[in-house]
Amino acid sequence: MNGVSLHRVHLPRGTLVSVRVGAAIRPDEVIGLRRGAMAPVHVPLTRPLHLQPSEVDAVLVVRPGERVEVDQPLALVEGGRAVTAPLAGLVLSVSRRDGTLLLAPLGPEQPVISHVRGRVRTIEEGALVIEVPAARLRGVGGSGDAVHGELVVGVPSPEDELRAAAIDSGATGKILVGGSRASAETLTRARAMGVAGIVLGGVLDKELRDFEAIQRRRRESGGMTGSFGILLVEGFGKVGIDRGLFTWFRAHAGRVASLFGADRLLYVYDAAPLPERRTLARVGDRVIAHRRPFQGRGGVLVALLDDLHAAQSGIPARMALVRFEDGRLAPVPLANIEATVAPTAH
Amino acid sequence: MTIGNPETIAGLARAELSLLIDIGSAWTKAAVVGRTRGRWRIAAHAAQPSSWDEAELIATLAARLAGSADPRVSGRLGVLLADAPRISVHTPTRPGRIALAAVSSELSGRAARLAAEAAGWVVVEAVTADDGRTVAERLSALQSAEVDAWLLAGGFDAEGGEGALEMAGLVAAARGGGRSPVVWAGSAALRDQVADFFDPGVLRPVANPRPSADRENPLPLRRYLDALIERLVERGAARQLAPIGFGRAVAELARAARLRILGVDLGARYATWASADENGIADSRVVASGGLASPSLTLPGRPARIAHSLSVAIDGLAVADALQNLRARPGSLPQTDEELAIVHAAARDLLGELAANGPATGGIDLLIGSGRTIAAAPVPAQAMQVLLDGIRPIGILQLAIDPAGALGPLGALRDDEIVEGLGMLRDDVLTPLGAAVVCQGGRPGHPAMRVAVRRAGWPALGPIDVRPGQVEVVPLARGQVAELEIELDTSATLGAPRRTRRLRATVSGGAVGLVLDARDVPLQLPRRTDDRRAVLTSWREAFTREASL
Repeated sequence: MNGVSLHRVHLPRGTLVSVRVGAAIRPDEVIGLRRGAMAPVHVPLTRPLHLQPSEVDAVLVVRPGERVEVDQPLALVEGGRAVTAPLAGLVLSVSRRDGTLLLAPLGPEQPVISHVRGRVRTIEEGALVIEVPAARLRGVGGSGDAVHGELVVGVPSPEDELRAAAIDSGATGKILVGGSRASAETLTRARAMGVAGIVLGGVLDKELRDFEAIQRRRRESGGMTGSFGILLVEGFGKVGIDRGLFTWFRAHAGRVASLFGADRLLYVYDAAPLPERRTLARVGDRVIAHRRPFQGRGGVLVALLDDLHAAQSGIPARMALVRFEDGRLAPVPLANIEATVAPTAH
Repeated sequence: MTIGNPETIAGLARAELSLLIDIGSAWTKAAVVGRTRGRWRIAAHAAQPSSWDEAELIATLAARLAGSADPRVSGRLGVLLADAPRISVHTPTRPGRIALAAVSSELSGRAARLAAEAAGWVVVEAVTADDGRTVAERLSALQSAEVDAWLLAGGFDAEGGEGALEMAGLVAAARGGGRSPVVWAGSAALRDQVADFFDPGVLRPVANPRPSADRENPLPLRRYLDALIERLVERGAARQLAPIGFGRAVAELARAARLRILGVDLGARYATWASADENGIADSRVVASGGLASPSLTLPGRPARIAHSLSVAIDGLAVADALQNLRARPGSLPQTDEELAIVHAAARDLLGELAANGPATGGIDLLIGSGRTIAAAPVPAQAMQVLLDGIRPIGILQLAIDPAGALGPLGALRDDEIVEGLGMLRDDVLTPLGAAVVCQGGRPGHPAMRVAVRRAGWPALGPIDVRPGQVEVVPLARGQVAELEIELDTSATLGAPRRTRRLRATVSGGAVGLVLDARDVPLQLPRRTDDRRAVLTSWREAFTREASL
C-alpha cells in the first residue's frame, strides 16, 4: 500500500502516554513510560499487628490489584498500629494461610517506543493510532519484535539464499533484505551481530522454529539484548522475492524502514510507490504463483480457460494459462496467482 | 431447467431469483435460488476467493445458469442476479480475544479454555499457577495482552481455594482499570471475595465449569461467553454470522426431520460443530482458531502428527511448510496431489480434535459436512473419508455435504422462515454421500461385523465379513434404500447401550454408497512406517475405488 496508513501501536497496561494527539513522532521517539512488575515480595501483616491470619481481611485497607506507594498503609488496627508498604508496587494477593500480603514492586521506568514515523491520530484505551506516511508492505508471515533501521539489500539476486557469512558488523542496526531463505544459523548470527530485522522471500518453517526456540532459551537464561524482527513476503519454503519487488528494495536501500514481525508489516519512508499485488489477474498481467509446484515463480497470464478444469489435485477450478519466465506454459488455478502491478500503471 | 416466469413487466420476462451468500474469511460461496416448474430450487452455485470482487461472482453464477435459463431472461442474467434479493452471512470480522487465568492447566484451566474456545473466543494469553513461570512473568504476560475480556477459573465449589484468589488478584493487578469485563468461573464460595477486587459491575460470576474434581459443567460458562462475544464483538448482528446461521439451520433440520444431526463446518479460520436432537435442541461449538488456516496446525509436533497420518511419503517439514502456506494464503487451492493429501489430513486432524473435546458422537442419525475442504472435495469419497476418519462416529448413520454452502444463509432467516426455506430446498441443500456402519472393537482373526445388504429390485449382497481394521464400500446409489442385517462380534459395538449382537437397520445411498467401517474408534494404525502407509493406502483405495461388491 502506498500513501498514508493508520498504524495501531498496542500499549501494555500501565503505560503512561507522553505524546498528544496531533504530535509528530519519530521511529525512535519515546511515546510513553511504563514500570513493569518485578519479583513479588511477601509483606507480613499478622505478626506486626498481633493478629491471626484469618483476621487479616478485617484490617486490610487495600485490595488485590491496587497500586500502592511506598509507606502507604496496607493494614490498620484500632489504636493506630499499621503495616505500610515497604516499596511502591502492585498488591497481588493476601494469604489467609500465613497472613502475608504479596506485593510486586514496580521496576524502573521503561520507555515505550512506537518504531514508526508519523502523526498521532488518536489515543485509545491500550493503544495509540498513528498516521504513517510511508510505503506499506504486508507480508505473509513474520516473527519477532517491532524494529526500525536503514534498509540494506544483502543478496545479489532475489533467488539467492542469505548466508551467515554475508552478515558482518556493517549490518548492525539495519533491516536486511535477504533472498529466498535464511537458515536458523543465519538468523541467529544476524541477531547476534545486532541486525534489527530481516526481510525474506521465504523461510523453511523448521528454520524459523529452530531460531525462535534458540531465542526463547536465550531469553529465559537472560542472555538476550535488543530487538529483532523477521518478515516473509512470499511464502514458506525456499521462495525468492518477486523480481519487481526486489528491484524496488534495491532502489530504496538506505531509506529508513519500520518492521513489525508479529504484525507482518514493513513501512519504508520517503519511498516511491511499491509494486502492488492484485488478486483476480487478467490476461496480459504479469503474475506470480503462490502454491506448489510453481510457488514464487513469475510469468505472464496468457489466457483464461473457459469453464472449470481440474487441477492436478482434482479440484475443479477456474484455470489460468501462465507463460512462466523459464519458458514453461502451464495451467494454474486462478486463485493461486496474483497480478503484480507496476506503480507506474496506477 | 427454466428460470423465469411467463408473466412480463413492461415487456420483459420476470425472473424469481434470490441469492444465498456465505462470505467466509477465505472463500465466498453463493447459491442462486430460482423457481422452476412451480418449485424453488438451487439452480446454480459457485465459490470464489473472498478477495475477488462481487461482479466476478455474479458473472460466474450467470455463466452457470446460462445453459439452462429461459431464453427470455438469459441475456439479462447478470443484471437479474445483481438485483436479486439476497440472504447473506459472514464469518465474524474478528474473533473475541480473552485472557485466561486459572489455578491448574489440566483441571480448571482446561475446562475454561475449552468453554471459551467453543464459544468462539481466542485465548490470547493463558496463565496458570502450574505453568512454570514466575509471578512477575505471569503478570507481565497478562499486562501485555490485548483483550476484550478476562476469564478467571479455579477452586472447587465446596472448597474455595487460596490459589484461585491469587489468580484473581493477578488479573486485578494486570487489568488495572478500563471497561473490559472479568468473568468469574471459579469456586462459588469465593465469588463475593473476588468481586471485591474489582470496581462494581466489572465481575460477571458464572457457574463453575469444574465444580468438583470429578465433575465438569461447561455449558453455563459457554452460553455466557456466547452471549458476551455477541455483545462485545459483533453487536446486534449475531444471526448474520455464518457459525450462528449454520447452527440454527442444523437445529431446524433436526427438528423437521426428527433426526439427531451433527453438522461440522470447517472453514479457513473458524470451525463450527453443531449438534441437535430430534426436538431441535441444539448445542453449537464455534472455535475461532479451529479452521484450516489456524496457527494451531503448525504448532510443534502437529505437522509431524499430520505427516504420520498420510498414506504417501511426505515428511513433517514439508507438511509444516504446506500448512504455513495455507495459513498465509487461505484463498488459494491445493494444486498438487501431495498438497491435497496434506489438507485432507489436516482436516481429519482438526475434526478429530473437535470430536475429542466435545460430547460423544455416538447415536447420531445424520452427519453433515460443510466448508470448502469437505463439501468441495474433488471426489465425494474423499469427503466421506475426511468425515469418518476425523470424527469416528460410532453407529449407523447417513452422511451428507452442503456443497453450495447454503445452510449458513438459510439459518440467518427468521425462525419461521428457516422451516420454510429448508422445506422448499430440501432436495438441493444437501448432497447425500450415503450411509456408514462404524463399529468399535473387534478381535484379530474374527469378523468385527457381518452385514447382509438387501436392496429392492437388486440381488442381496453378503453377508459381508468386515474384519477389524477393514473398511468396505458397498454400492448404494442416491435414493436407493437398503435393509441391513448386522451381526456383531462379541467384542465389537455400535455404541448401543445394550450389547445387542444382531441388528436391523434401513439406510439410503448417495454419491459414495454404504461404508462398512471396522477400523475401530479411534483409528488404530501400525507403528512401522511402511506398514502404516500400506494400511492408509488400502483405506484410501477402499473409499475411492468404484464400489464393486
